[in-house]
Amino acid sequence: MMPAWLASGLVYASGLSLTAGGITLLYITTRTFNFAHASMATWGFYVVYTGTVLYGGTPYRWLPLAFLFGALLGVICYLALNRLLLYRQANTITLMMSTLGYDLVLLSFIQMYCDYLTYSLKLFPRRVTMSVFDIELFGTSGASIILPLTAVAVLTLLHLFITRTKFGTAMRATIENSLLAGASGINSDWVYMMSWIIGGGMASLGGAFMAMAMTGTPVLGMTTIPFMFAGAILGGLHSLYGGILGGFVVGLAEYAGVYFLAAQAGSWVLGYRMAIPLLIMAITLIAFPQGLAGAWAPMVSRLRGLRRRGVGA
Amino acid sequence: MLSVRNLNAGYGKLQVLFDVSLEVPAKGITVVVGPNGAGKTTLLNSIMGNATVFSGDVVFEGANIQGILPYRAARMGISYVPQMGNVFADLTVMENLHMAGYMLSSGEVKDKAAQVTDMFPVLKKFLHRKAGTLSGGERRMLAIGMGLMRKPKLMLLDELSTDLAPIIAKRVIAEVARLRDELGITILLVEQMAKRALEIGDTAYLLVSGDIRYEGKAADLLNDPELARLYLGIKEA
Amino acid sequence: MSGADRPVSRDESIWQRNDVIIGLAMVAVLTVIMLFRGLPLVLTILIDAAVFTIVTLSLNLEVGHTGISQFGRVLAVIAGAFVVGAVPGRLLAFFKGLPYGASYADDAVNYKVVPELSDLLASSLPLSIGFLLFCFLLAAVAGAAVGWLTSRPAIRLKEAYLGISLLAFGDFFMWIGHNWEPLVGGTTAVFVPDPFRVVWGSRFEVVVIVAIIVALLVYLYLERLTKSPFGRTLHMVRDCDLAAAVCGKDIVKIRTQSLMIGSALAAIGGALYVIYAGTTTAIGFTRLTWTFWPWAYMMLGGIGSNRGVVLGVLMLTVARTLIITYRSSLFGFLMAWGIDPMWLEYTLMGLVIILVVLFMPHGLVPAKVESILPADKVRRAAREHGFGETVGG
Repeated sequence: MMPAWLASGLVYASGLSLTAGGITLLYITTRTFNFAHASMATWGFYVVYTGTVLYGGTPYRWLPLAFLFGALLGVICYLALNRLLLYRQANTITLMMSTLGYDLVLLSFIQMYCDYLTYSLKLFPRRVTMSVFDIELFGTSGASIILPLTAVAVLTLLHLFITRTKFGTAMRATIENSLLAGASGINSDWVYMMSWIIGGGMASLGGAFMAMAMTGTPVLGMTTIPFMFAGAILGGLHSLYGGILGGFVVGLAEYAGVYFLAAQAGSWVLGYRMAIPLLIMAITLIAFPQGLAGAWAPMVSRLRGLRRRGVGA
Repeated sequence: MLSVRNLNAGYGKLQVLFDVSLEVPAKGITVVVGPNGAGKTTLLNSIMGNATVFSGDVVFEGANIQGILPYRAARMGISYVPQMGNVFADLTVMENLHMAGYMLSSGEVKDKAAQVTDMFPVLKKFLHRKAGTLSGGERRMLAIGMGLMRKPKLMLLDELSTDLAPIIAKRVIAEVARLRDELGITILLVEQMAKRALEIGDTAYLLVSGDIRYEGKAADLLNDPELARLYLGIKEA
Repeated sequence: MSGADRPVSRDESIWQRNDVIIGLAMVAVLTVIMLFRGLPLVLTILIDAAVFTIVTLSLNLEVGHTGISQFGRVLAVIAGAFVVGAVPGRLLAFFKGLPYGASYADDAVNYKVVPELSDLLASSLPLSIGFLLFCFLLAAVAGAAVGWLTSRPAIRLKEAYLGISLLAFGDFFMWIGHNWEPLVGGTTAVFVPDPFRVVWGSRFEVVVIVAIIVALLVYLYLERLTKSPFGRTLHMVRDCDLAAAVCGKDIVKIRTQSLMIGSALAAIGGALYVIYAGTTTAIGFTRLTWTFWPWAYMMLGGIGSNRGVVLGVLMLTVARTLIITYRSSLFGFLMAWGIDPMWLEYTLMGLVIILVVLFMPHGLVPAKVESILPADKVRRAAREHGFGETVGG
């Protein structure tokens, strides 16, 4: 039997690790801190919600669709915005702001979609407890077993793609040195597009995961995006694997910390749960102002991590 | 094979090259020498499409490729070996060669890689080691090898000898002469260590502050005491 | 040289200037709104615009003039709003012998205590004015303190890291206010004693006038500040902190000063807002409204241009208000699907940011690129030192 906090903590942490991994991937390939991750995650949740409510069954069968939808949102962001700005060699803040604009547009569509669901289909999409659709496995919630395993499967596939395929190697090559990759005939356009596909897909998948552990709302992503960033920063923002691990640690630390502190100090602690990921981020940044990149780089490169070299952010 | 006509180029708003014209004849080594900051690397970057071209033409095999995207230039048969970051440090030597031959079929990649490792036997020992762990000279060999993987008609080589011990530098430059003599590749070589480059070169240009100050036979530039003393740090014998 | 330093013609007609045209257009639009919808709507627009002008100008000082990636503007606004929600009322309550401890913020107590305090203020004009000024002062001090605190990481972190840290801590402050009831009532709002009760019949008009005066003062202050030697030092730090350091400028000190001034001003904006609203509601201070909206205003107006920022705020405030006001007549087709057109406000703000980034990176009123010394001064100095007219402008 898994304790309840661990069960939902695992689900939440798996979701956060996917989103933090996506943020990291987009940062190391396109230098973009993606604010739109917030609404991409929320859209992932609503894809799964809509599918489950309208067609029945478990939420899990809709996860692939959530990934595809997020990938689509990523491609749109790349083609309409990011690509043009990268050609112009826009600075980090401009890249960041462009994704913020995109995020607000997506957020408005989420809100309108919720209005539509409420009005036309008589649903209650603004406060959703996805876990009621869950199944039971081995005496515990299915999500706490299925979702972490799904995350591991997705990340394994991603790892194989990046290390074993020609295009994956080309992605690593472009990340390390886009100038030389271009000189080798690698079209960096496809590489950036692919990272938006993977990054967007991971964001939506992660959002759908997190909704299984917490209340699903139109601002699900908006409220959790600081934690996604916290995970990515803890991971060092230079290695995909670091980001994935960072997201997982931040997510599990939040659930574990709140559980044990609440047992010690009382339930008022619950309101301040967001202090835990922020504290982790603050400590990381105080100790390593450039993120963990400097501290982890040698170790991670030995683990065949993705590492960015040359031109700084 | 390649001609650059009245090129004005730089980065962003900063102009580095002023009205530069240059001819690279086929199957020869054209050497561009000049002091630090003369714009030698910018010249190569503008040919490859990595710099901002304000005006002028870059004509390769009769086609104007001014402002081309780097990967397209690569696919046309121009192979650029940059001065810095000319290998993927996080990729193994084998992966590096495969990436360099990105646009070849897998059969061709195998043949080419075999040819390259035959030419530079030192790489054979390290095929599955990360390029970042190689020594400076080995890395330079790998970089040239990667340039060869692309089945180049024209190779742009930037400052091949920088940071190398003199004896290694000499060997690397000697390899460049082999590329011309054995493989018949046209080469545009940019060098700060002028003497050695001019010794193997056919045609030479002297670039100072974004301006061509000399063009002619490489040997003549080497023997021009005034220019050699002023710009190339070559003392009169 | 290239077109980078094209000379700015001095006799450019004022009718060719973006800021003049937009300013006049805004006046015209406000007049039309007044004619068709009456004065109250115009006043609503103006009070919103005034509060956000203050906040956005303060943001512009830090982002546009100093080059700090301030993604936590809400932090300083919260400092002003919370301190005004928590402190001045308690002080009055203390002197009046009413509950002033933790129970002051309890909603069962608060809704009885604060009207008594408002009545007290209403009895005396000098007391009301004094209270108002005290609120601003308190907010400025709290804001400056928050600015100093945020300057600690701002010295060490790279731009994007800093932006994300500030963003996260802005959220955190909001949650503290939302959860810690004794501060500003937690999930329930805490009322703020009303210094405008004294002009009860025309409270709204007076609030708007005061807000506009405060915004104008902030604008004039920042115009002077950014054109002073201190302003030029800020620009130097923004454009190249290494060069500024080489010139003997203490970058840490300058950034800290900029953050403290900016945060103090933003806190005054927050204070003004809660005094106008009459309540402090912690959950209302979201990063969306108090960080991202000001960013959108600033980007539309022109980062680094104080005048542009004012116009950007005015334009978007008008646009947002018009969407809300005319939502049923303009967007009826959406309502047929059950969709509330108020969400178009988000779409609008998102699109504004995207379009500005793509097509107008310098905004409507681009900031002037000024030389460190004015051209005439350089020429005069050159003449005095015998360089003649060889030194151009």
